[in-house]
Amino acid sequence: MAGSHSDPLAHPEVRQGGALRYIAGFISTVALMGAAMVVTLRHDLAYSSFVELVGGLAFLALLSQAVLYYGLDISRSQIWKSVSLILTVPLFIITVGLTVWMFQSLDQRTMLMPTTLQQPTLLQ
Amino acid sequence: MQVEVPGPWSPLLGRLTLDAIPYTNPILQGTFAGAALAGLIVIGCVLYFKKVGYLWREWLTSVDHKKIGVMYIIVGLVMLFRGFADGLMIRTQQVIANGPNAPGVLGAQHGFLPPFHFDQVYSAHGTIMILFAATPILTGFQNIVVPLQIGARDMAFPYMNALSLWLTTAAAALVMISLFVGDFSAAGWVGLIPLTELPFSPSTGVDYWMWAIQISSVGTTLNAINMIVTIVEMRAPGMTWFRMPVFSWTTLSTNIIGLTAFPVLGVALALLGADRYLGTHFFTAGYGGNLMLYTNLFWIWGHPEVYFLILPTFGILSEVIPTFSEKPLFGYVTMVAATFAIAGISWVVWLHHFFTMGSGPDINGFFSVATMLVGIPTGVKLFNWMFTLYRARITYSVAMLWAMFGLFLLLAGGLTGMMLALPAVNYTVHDSVFVIAHFHCMVLLVVASAFAGVTYWFPKLFGFKLNEGWGKAFFWTFSIATIIVFAAMFALGFQGETRRLDWTFNTAWKPMLMVEEIGMILYVVSLACFAIMLVVSIRNRAKNRVGADPWGTSRTLEWLTPSPVPFYNFAVTPQVNTRDELSWRRKHGLESAKPAGFEAIHMPSNTGMPVIIGALAGIWGFAMIWRIWWLAGISLLGIVVCVIIRSFNKNEGYHLQPQEIEAMEKNLATGAIVAEQPVRTHLHHVEAH
Amino acid sequence: MAHQAAPGAGTRLFHPGFEGHSQISARTLGFWLYMLSDALLFTALFAAYAVLDTPMNAAGGPIASQIVNPIEGFWQTIAILASVTCYSLATVAMKNGNRAGTALGIIAAMVLAVVFLAFGFNDLATLTAHGNGLGRSGYLSAYFVLILTHAVHMLIGILWMLVMLVQIPRYGFNEMVVARMLNLRMFWQFQATVWVCVYIYVYMIGA
Repeated sequence: MAGSHSDPLAHPEVRQGGALRYIAGFISTVALMGAAMVVTLRHDLAYSSFVELVGGLAFLALLSQAVLYYGLDISRSQIWKSVSLILTVPLFIITVGLTVWMFQSLDQRTMLMPTTLQQPTLLQ
Repeated sequence: MQVEVPGPWSPLLGRLTLDAIPYTNPILQGTFAGAALAGLIVIGCVLYFKKVGYLWREWLTSVDHKKIGVMYIIVGLVMLFRGFADGLMIRTQQVIANGPNAPGVLGAQHGFLPPFHFDQVYSAHGTIMILFAATPILTGFQNIVVPLQIGARDMAFPYMNALSLWLTTAAAALVMISLFVGDFSAAGWVGLIPLTELPFSPSTGVDYWMWAIQISSVGTTLNAINMIVTIVEMRAPGMTWFRMPVFSWTTLSTNIIGLTAFPVLGVALALLGADRYLGTHFFTAGYGGNLMLYTNLFWIWGHPEVYFLILPTFGILSEVIPTFSEKPLFGYVTMVAATFAIAGISWVVWLHHFFTMGSGPDINGFFSVATMLVGIPTGVKLFNWMFTLYRARITYSVAMLWAMFGLFLLLAGGLTGMMLALPAVNYTVHDSVFVIAHFHCMVLLVVASAFAGVTYWFPKLFGFKLNEGWGKAFFWTFSIATIIVFAAMFALGFQGETRRLDWTFNTAWKPMLMVEEIGMILYVVSLACFAIMLVVSIRNRAKNRVGADPWGTSRTLEWLTPSPVPFYNFAVTPQVNTRDELSWRRKHGLESAKPAGFEAIHMPSNTGMPVIIGALAGIWGFAMIWRIWWLAGISLLGIVVCVIIRSFNKNEGYHLQPQEIEAMEKNLATGAIVAEQPVRTHLHHVEAH
Repeated sequence: MAHQAAPGAGTRLFHPGFEGHSQISARTLGFWLYMLSDALLFTALFAAYAVLDTPMNAAGGPIASQIVNPIEGFWQTIAILASVTCYSLATVAMKNGNRAGTALGIIAAMVLAVVFLAFGFNDLATLTAHGNGLGRSGYLSAYFVLILTHAVHMLIGILWMLVMLVQIPRYGFNEMVVARMLNLRMFWQFQATVWVCVYIYVYMIGA
């Protein structure tokens, strides 16, 4: 249980914080979310392309958070965080993706759905 | 916002009334008498030998990974016994209540268990065996062995380790309390929906099941974090990734599964809880609920969970088999690769638990293929063990016998699993006892390797071997009983017996049911052999003292320490030079090398906070079950306050001085797991400057 | 089979004075792993939301497009991102050993978080007052529980910040306090990450 007894503020994770990085992260995420909102309110895209575009904007926002806020890279102090995140991302996709695919089929085969649909959702 | 609960509710005691105590039920009267007697004997012994202080100081407040591991295993073995009792009741009920003219006693029309009680028995059996017996036992092994195997002094977070233990124990206590206050869930260990919804299960049974699992899941998740960080950060110098023993690799992969899968169980049960407590409509049969959603969420956890159980099992086999074959494990790299392949694939197969829910051929086909793919890395592992055994100098010690039996069970369970992976077969045998026989082969493999592990590592912890003769008797009775019970059960599956029957209406099943009962009687005999083995071993402990390497042919780093291993593990951190470090040192005559000198070691202090938080968690669970809101609020507040107080903790452990270490290395009894330690001065960190 | 070298003159069997691992690194990695499990928790909630987000599950009550307001959600997005940025700047002050700056950043983060939560709770309260509370339909149950789970995480974060405001003057920037500040930074940034997902999936795609 030995621990290094050097100054805690010298630890790489403390040193890696930087005002410019965080403000850049703030601006980029707000801009991307604003763009998504504008696209949503204009309502002039086909549904599937809308989902793709907004999804892409979201992906970029999350990426900017990963790099600018969390500061993930492959330096020694961050590498396990980066590796564990990258290995976990497939699980997010699998959980939601396979569930949605499964329920599309289940809903068609086992549920009585109303014939009129006001708007499409991800399950249709 | 509170849902209308059926039955009385008072602000002071919630739903708790005197009616909740089933004092008219003769079976429970007997159970209570037995439990009370056992409890009084244990408490009486502790008081008589004046060990209360010792227990508190040395065990309950301990943050030592070995003691925590031992306590985990004790909890697991106690719950294994309770789960076995439930299993015995299931089998006995089914064999008595066979056919339209079956006799009925104790209020039952057939057999001795009325249907509602029978449902609780099999629900408890499943829940206990998976979550409160197998999981704590395997967690206990990981706790004990991994730090020793990687050359560390303790886990990364000793305090959190203790916390995980006490949360799990609190949850197990809730399950035991459900015997005597209220009832348990009658909806299966899975929590069949919509049966678990409030209108269909109005009593507190489902709530006991739900909160016990939730509390223990927190413990399991914390433990997973602890194990992963320990393996990543605390390996001894020179222990590169590919020099690490396979048991540590399987621990890493299993805890990755644990970390990622248990939150989904938490969500599934929390949403059910929201339905039962807040009146939401996630899974209700109306108002826009979706029943299939629960099944989906539950099994997203449920499948990785069974791999959470089997991977440490495989790890134990990978330690025991090479030791008693006097050969290195065949195919180390492929073994590690197969472990992670299994962990990865286990995440995309969960639908095979509900092929019959109606997803259609495309989806069923995808999950079927994925399920069959798991067979490939599992096969790789099995072949690696076989090649390890091939042309080896095999010692048929008790641990090796358990391991070999485990391989046999893996074959039977694995092949029947492959059968079940085919939707066409699955549609025919879904919810029949064929499925039960399949997964019992797998979980009995877990139990077999657990007993292999107990036999194998017991001398390391306690300094003496378990009695070999009674160990073999235990093994043979247990394994033959297993074969008898489950071969018969496979046959019954093909004869069409379905699961969870409190009345087995078909008289054609009678012969096989009787065969199963004979097997159960043999299990009871094996239990007696186990108890006798423990008593005889402890009685003869002075005669059976062993040294650092009791088996003579062990290969990994934990066998470098003396037996019993002192609480600080290694007097000086070892330098690792190769895989299977000990066998390398032994080959070059270096196994008895001692360090030149000793240095002070920084050890963490014991603390009672985990016990307090565990107790508060148990009280909170009880209060939530009975809807005693004031008590739930106070206990939750207490937990938050304890956590905050703990964060202000100034105790930084203590330094173990070199003279003390030298003395303990010479006189092993003073540093052993059962020894009482003297009071030491603690370091306090300085206030702000 | 691994090639095993024979021991030579330079072979060491022991390593006295081994420094061991860094406490701060261990704690931040451990906390990061906890956050991954929390991410899986939210993933499961999103999966439940995805399944229940159909007209069938609205049981005659409102569906997503009738209750989400992307513009108001945008103000919430700015509030939470600003809160995260303030807290992150507080850790920059910590890097420079500046206790007052750190405390200021934390307080700003707390205020912005309360603003965010006020918006959110107001939304939910309005819905409930109109009879569209969490017991109205399966869809609304999913909506409420997703938002409320995020809100509970934020409340815990605010409580944690309060504790840090007490510990910094008392202990200074010692190892434990620094580790906690770093963990809180990750935790807080994570809340913003989850909110981005909520905003996109519930507010954008729902609208």
